[in-house]
Amino acid sequence: MMTVYTDVVCPFCGCLCDDLEVTVEDGEIAGVKNACAVSRSKFMNHGENRIETTTVDGKAVDYEEAVKAAAKILATARRPLVYGLSSTECVAIGKAVELAELVGGVVDNTSSVCHGPTILALQQVGESKTTLGEVKNRADLIVFWGSNPTEAHLRHIIRYSAMPKGMYTPEGRKSRYVVAVDVRETRMARVADEFLKVEPGKDFELLLVLRAAVRGAEVQADQVAGISKEQIKALAGRMKAAKMGIIFFGLGLTQSDGRHMNIDAAVGLVTELNHHTKFLLTPMRGHYNVAGANTVTTWQTGYPYAVDFARGYPRYNPGEYTSVDLLAKGEADAALIIASDPGATFPADAAKRLAKIPVVTLDQKVTPTTMLSKVVIPVATAGVEAEGTAYRMDGVPLRLKKVVEPHGGIRSDAEVLEMIIERVRALKEGS
Amino acid sequence: MLKIEVTLISGRTSQQGAGLEVGKTSEEYFRSTSYVELNASDAEKLGVGDGQPVGVTTPHGSVVVSARTSQGLDPGMAFFPYGPWANQVFGTDTGGTGMPSYKGIRATVEPAAGKAIPTLTELVERLRGGT
Repeated sequence: MMTVYTDVVCPFCGCLCDDLEVTVEDGEIAGVKNACAVSRSKFMNHGENRIETTTVDGKAVDYEEAVKAAAKILATARRPLVYGLSSTECVAIGKAVELAELVGGVVDNTSSVCHGPTILALQQVGESKTTLGEVKNRADLIVFWGSNPTEAHLRHIIRYSAMPKGMYTPEGRKSRYVVAVDVRETRMARVADEFLKVEPGKDFELLLVLRAAVRGAEVQADQVAGISKEQIKALAGRMKAAKMGIIFFGLGLTQSDGRHMNIDAAVGLVTELNHHTKFLLTPMRGHYNVAGANTVTTWQTGYPYAVDFARGYPRYNPGEYTSVDLLAKGEADAALIIASDPGATFPADAAKRLAKIPVVTLDQKVTPTTMLSKVVIPVATAGVEAEGTAYRMDGVPLRLKKVVEPHGGIRSDAEVLEMIIERVRALKEGS
Repeated sequence: MLKIEVTLISGRTSQQGAGLEVGKTSEEYFRSTSYVELNASDAEKLGVGDGQPVGVTTPHGSVVVSARTSQGLDPGMAFFPYGPWANQVFGTDTGGTGMPSYKGIRATVEPAAGKAIPTLTELVERLRGGT
């Protein structure tokens, strides 16, 4: 039997493209249309390299045994860390927060190593937000700063920003001027109308001098951060003359020196520009539901990531309760990892801690983290084998579809987390 | 010993994204994450061509990966795709922000003829405290 699912939302990056067409034949995905290369890989290979069975200490056990072992680890730990969450759906994220509260642990998500610095800056200075639909219909000046959608958000420029024909941008690409700012000449730099090759670590200076030029100050230095005074003045003029402009910024700003201060400077430039025209900025969120991880954690605890429940109430302190810090300092004495692979994505000296403490991991595929884990519980892939809600990079929630039955009858993240919660409650009531 | 100093940045590539969706244990993932990109003139200085092994070293660690040349990088710059090979050389200091310096650290690159690129399993063994 063949079924074609339309308007499927892609669960890979923060674009959440919602126009995929997935063909399912005899319970297997047979084809996917409209998908980018990464999305196609996710749908077509979702059955590859799966975790075959639930294990404790490498030995196959049933779900019940694994849940019991996981609950015991988390309930008896002094400083358990709950981490990941950005590649699963919102109900599971809510359950993870509930579990962190129950065991008096820390709950953190992958934004601590992607747009955490963005959040720090926006909490200080605010942001001018918009939806990608507004960008498509109105934006005539688009700046990609320290972001490279041609590698990381493959359909962004086609669906949302540089290319689409919108209500006030009837000629699509020709209706817009596209600028790329990066330390290297990426494919994005080559397809942009203008490329500013900023010296590494000098984004802050360039943002500040652009702001000064927008304000009308005379730029005295011949060049700033590798960009000539003439180019700076011309871009400032072009930004002021735009009908609606937007900066899509990426990890080029958050992962380099300056971190949150770079974002503070970008917001400052946008604020200055709003004295002249409509100007906005949007972080290019990586994992498809990292924005949801921030949103759910905020509505449940008041804070978007790095939340500590050790005192029974939520406290927030990035730099202290963030996962890399907790692991590198040897503070975390147990970990629950959901939909993430810190064993591969954290600096080795932080990941090493995961080899020394009992780790429970919920994931689909074999990863360095599952290899280091005491308890491994295979789960269904949200957006392919389980439904749920995810938040797009602009904060718009979209509904993920289930297009095939879970691999081998396994359960969703939310179901497994609920089982662990019930078991931890029973342990706490019994003691 | 011939070596150069570079400013090292890491980042996403579409191949790395597609590779991780096949699986971290897949050949696609290994190929898409166990290399470092260098400017062509820097690679020439080191006498290494595409696919040849180089050692990348920072104060935080060292790893052998294959070299690739890139038109987009200036001399003195190097690019590492995100992944466990890159994470051998990035440090854990977050400056009180939670975010390590994944972009813009100083590193040295040198030819590593005859040395093998570690497999994913070997990197996991390193995390366990093996060599």
